Amino acid sequence: MSRRDGREGLPIVIGSLVVALALTVVPLPVLLEPFRPYWVALVMSYWHLESGRLHELGPAFALGLLVDVLTGSLLGRHALSLVILNFLLRRFRNRIRFFPPWQQALAVGALLFNDRVVHLWVVGLLERSWPGWAFWIPPLVGIALWPWLFLLLDALRSRRRGARP
Amino acid sequence: MNGPYGQRSLISVSGGTARLMAYSLLAITLMALDFRGRYVDHVRDAATQVIEPLVLLIDLPFHGADRLAEFWTRRSELVERIRRLERDAVRKNAMLGDLADLTVENARLRELLDAAPRQTRRYLAAELAAIDLDPFAHRIVIKRGRVDGVEVGMPVIDAGGVLGQVEQVDRNTSRVILLTDPDHALPVQILPAGERTVAYGSGRVDRLRLNDLPMNTAVEVGDLVVTSGLGGRFTAGLPVGRLVALERPAGQPFARAEIEPLAGMDRNRIVLVLQAVPAEPREVDTPPAEAVEDADAGAEGTESASPTAGEPADASESPAGDGATNASPDAAAEDRR
Repeated sequence: MSRRDGREGLPIVIGSLVVALALTVVPLPVLLEPFRPYWVALVMSYWHLESGRLHELGPAFALGLLVDVLTGSLLGRHALSLVILNFLLRRFRNRIRFFPPWQQALAVGALLFNDRVVHLWVVGLLERSWPGWAFWIPPLVGIALWPWLFLLLDALRSRRRGARP
Repeated sequence: MNGPYGQRSLISVSGGTARLMAYSLLAITLMALDFRGRYVDHVRDAATQVIEPLVLLIDLPFHGADRLAEFWTRRSELVERIRRLERDAVRKNAMLGDLADLTVENARLRELLDAAPRQTRRYLAAELAAIDLDPFAHRIVIKRGRVDGVEVGMPVIDAGGVLGQVEQVDRNTSRVILLTDPDHALPVQILPAGERTVAYGSGRVDRLRLNDLPMNTAVEVGDLVVTSGLGGRFTAGLPVGRLVALERPAGQPFARAEIEPLAGMDRNRIVLVLQAVPAEPREVDTPPAEAVEDADAGAEGTESASPTAGEPADASESPAGDGATNASPDAAAEDRR
């Protein structure tokens, strides 16, 4: 867990981010549509907390721009949201890291709720309408998913590390 | 750069805050520029270069699953579908015969009136990519791009009516902005009163707004709304929607109305892109069914939906409701599953 070994595995970081981007736009049934979590934010949070990757605001900004282009939203909306999330993660990193996973999930959930407020601000300015209660579901799904995502990415990472001499 | 994360050293915190401010400001500037007039299209274009392969990659398994499902469809179902399509084709062909007559007649009348000849249009069938975009962005991605001859500004329709227009073209995909996007404005005409106005997107997928009707307007709820052709992008007479609400708020200078779009904004699999063909006066004399497009279509296997009606649409200001109005259902009916 030291930052030195966190520096390895750039392919896996990029791979997981590409998968997160894909999951962001993969078609879901209309009924499940509001439950889509903010995948990119979850994956970014994992790498930020558990490794030395994605600590800078620049990559977060670029990642956000990619999400904006991919989803066709206003250019800069997700960039702003990920930059703010990245900044907060950095402030609270040392505290969140040593929580047990379920507590970590709550902390990440709080950050995701804050992120929704950022989105609400932008969407509210544009659409001049309240987006409805379904707007607040993704952070809840994010909380539920966090421990599993954590275990999955941890397993992937440690297997990679184990493969190395 | 690897400063002591989380440590309350004043310098690292303020440095981080300054960077946060800088990036936030950049993001907000980008948003403002994008919202106010699409000044940052080149940024979007550059980023799309990175993203487009991903879009096609995501679409691949869904496309494959569709193919597989088609492969496993029962024979009886296929036979029944073919019968239905054949019946449809016969009926449409009969209607097209009528239309050919009308086209010739129209050309003659236009010659008598010394009016400009009608413009020929091609219909390019385009499949939607299996991509769910941001729910607040009224955009769709179609699997036709620059290589298929799609250009920015081309109208996009479906079997019901106007869907939107092409906003951005990449190599193999394009993005279409829907009529319902709050950024979109469409010059329309309300029939039968013939009143011309502009329909704005409302941000809701089933509503368009008319904000500046005169108070003494003659339109009524239930009236058909078609494109007026005044903007120069959409041909006149394409069906847009039906007027569903009309109010005259006291103390306001204008009456307001709401339109329900006829096109299925969120339930299409295949849409049609209208391509203008340079006007050729003699083209008008030939029956409209001969312009079979799509032969040069991409290698995506969307040939199942080849539109055949190269139906001329009205380029000038004649009252709508003539052949152009019939054109879109005709051409698109074959595409329905």
